[in-house]
Amino acid sequence: MESNKTDSDIGDKCNSNGDCSPTPNKQSFDINNAKNIDDISTPSELKFDEEPDYEDPEVKEKKKEIEKCLENLDWVNLEQWQDFAKGKAGLISDDYRRKIWPLLVGVTQEEMTEPPSLDELSTHIEYNQVVLDVNRSLKRFPPGIPYEQRVALQDQLTVLILRVIMKYPHLKYYQGYHDVAITLLLVCGDRASFPLLCRLSYGPGAPLAPFMQTTMQPTQHLLNYMLPVISRADRKLAECLDKAQVGTMFALPWYLTWFGHSLNKYTDVVRLYDYFLCAPPLFPVYVTAAIVLYRADEVFNCECDMAMLHCLLSRLPDDLPFEDILVTAKRLYEDNDPTDLEAEVAALERREEEQRRLDEERLKRRQLANRRNASSVAARLRRCVPAALRGPWSRRACLATATVLLGIYVYYRPDILFNRTRPERTAPSVPRASQRAIRPPQMGPSRADADTESRRT
Amino acid sequence: MAKTYDYLFKLLLIGDSGVGKTSILFRFSEDAFNISFISTIGIDFKIRTIDLDGKKVKLQIWDTAGQERFRTITTAYYRGSMGIMLVYDVTNEKSFENIKNWIRNIEENASADVEKMILGNKCDLEAKRQVSKERGEQLAVEYQIKFIETSAKDSLNVESAFYTLARDIKAKMEKKQEASNPAGARSGAHQIRANEQQRKPTSWLSRCSLL
Repeated sequence: MESNKTDSDIGDKCNSNGDCSPTPNKQSFDINNAKNIDDISTPSELKFDEEPDYEDPEVKEKKKEIEKCLENLDWVNLEQWQDFAKGKAGLISDDYRRKIWPLLVGVTQEEMTEPPSLDELSTHIEYNQVVLDVNRSLKRFPPGIPYEQRVALQDQLTVLILRVIMKYPHLKYYQGYHDVAITLLLVCGDRASFPLLCRLSYGPGAPLAPFMQTTMQPTQHLLNYMLPVISRADRKLAECLDKAQVGTMFALPWYLTWFGHSLNKYTDVVRLYDYFLCAPPLFPVYVTAAIVLYRADEVFNCECDMAMLHCLLSRLPDDLPFEDILVTAKRLYEDNDPTDLEAEVAALERREEEQRRLDEERLKRRQLANRRNASSVAARLRRCVPAALRGPWSRRACLATATVLLGIYVYYRPDILFNRTRPERTAPSVPRASQRAIRPPQMGPSRADADTESRRT
Repeated sequence: MAKTYDYLFKLLLIGDSGVGKTSILFRFSEDAFNISFISTIGIDFKIRTIDLDGKKVKLQIWDTAGQERFRTITTAYYRGSMGIMLVYDVTNEKSFENIKNWIRNIEENASADVEKMILGNKCDLEAKRQVSKERGEQLAVEYQIKFIETSAKDSLNVESAFYTLARDIKAKMEKKQEASNPAGARSGAHQIRANEQQRKPTSWLSRCSLL
């Protein structure tokens, strides 16, 4: 409850700051629903929203159809369930979802086994990270849920996640996985959500599998498909995003959690899951593209700056028309099959790589220059030289003057050139001592290299 | 759009997962604390404009995911940062030990002249403390970085930490400006953005080495 209040405060304050304008979170949950939570063993009974007073006749009709199908399970094929899940309003209620989600991914009753206890799993290497994230998932629980029940659900969530990554040790847990897991847990309960999560995490075409590799590189690659999709639909918008170099990071949590992390309305999250559970693995990226396209005007009105656009896009408004967005995403997918986009994504990544290389080179050059600058006695002397002498034109003049002066000096003191003892030690020792004396205190241990570097040049 | 600030500083918060980076940022930008924070996935940022010696300084503070898995993503943001807060949790020994790794990360990915500061957060949890203040100070001396213990929950030192870092960046920036353009520095040309500072003309010495 408190968290929700504070959340909307964030929005207001941020707005008043003038620069960052996230949509203020509305109090999206009905707080007074603790009555639904009587028995912790049936978390699917949890309700987040009151049933709306008005019910669309189409949806009412669909409900009847779904109920009829649920009564005759053996006669209904996968395609029928998929049509329900993808069509308007999706699977409508969590009562239906609990039964249909496992069917969508082909989970059988036999796979729904009793989970082990948390104690058995607490030695796992990822245990601490999982608990850290689970403890920070309060926002995802029904507001007003009694403390004991919430803690019990959080333990179930930890068990669920650890069970999967123990079953498939090559899969790496990522922050955000817990957001997917909790959605499944809240809808389907702890027994059914385990095989469900396994199906989503492991196997060919498993949608979460790319996120669970050693690095996030495969995820970043897949997220890049968003840009050509946008570009083909709205070139001007794509150019704007490209100019600001906003990248795709604003959408990273959307993709990694199937929007579970970023949406405030529980009903929106489960509606999207209805669709994603029977869509191609890359479909959430097309939904991302559809959302950005829908918000094109906001993008055009925003300052063309990476940070500002990141801020604008990463905060999802509460009133996104997801039924329309899903229709758009479906059309985008049909018009731009992922295989058609491969060449564009590859070109984009080559460009990014090139940019990264240039940035790194520039950084290295600057680091070197800074070190020289800071460690050289000349840098100090330079400040004493009149500004007029520091222009690029004066380079030759300086050199010429220095040569003449040296000539005069050698003329009067020929011994310095022709009769000196151990010249290579005396000459450089002066600047080296001075270098040490003016070394800035905050410079790190790599100073020595810099000194050698500057002497070499 | 007319600029409403004199300086724009880009700051970054890094440190292990769960040390309180988001809480620190939230305390600083909204002056609030929320027990039910969510994990940061990827990267996010907040803005606050502060007044420093009569100058409006806009702080753009990037908050990062602490999990190792996101490292390749977050390090891309080191490059543009002018100040980095290294955060550990005084009730978590491991997070303190990892500060060295985070410093190495900075050395590999950030600009060499980036200002740094170490924060030992959650210092309100005295009973659970695993890392003494002295050890924090010692580490800071070792790396010659400023150090302060904070509590985002009790609003302790968070404000002063950001002000200190911002003041150091400002001082360094003005020093540089003066060095490269002693006349211009006092001529009232204050509208400076981070990128302009980065595109400072190459030094006389580096030109010299081309001769």
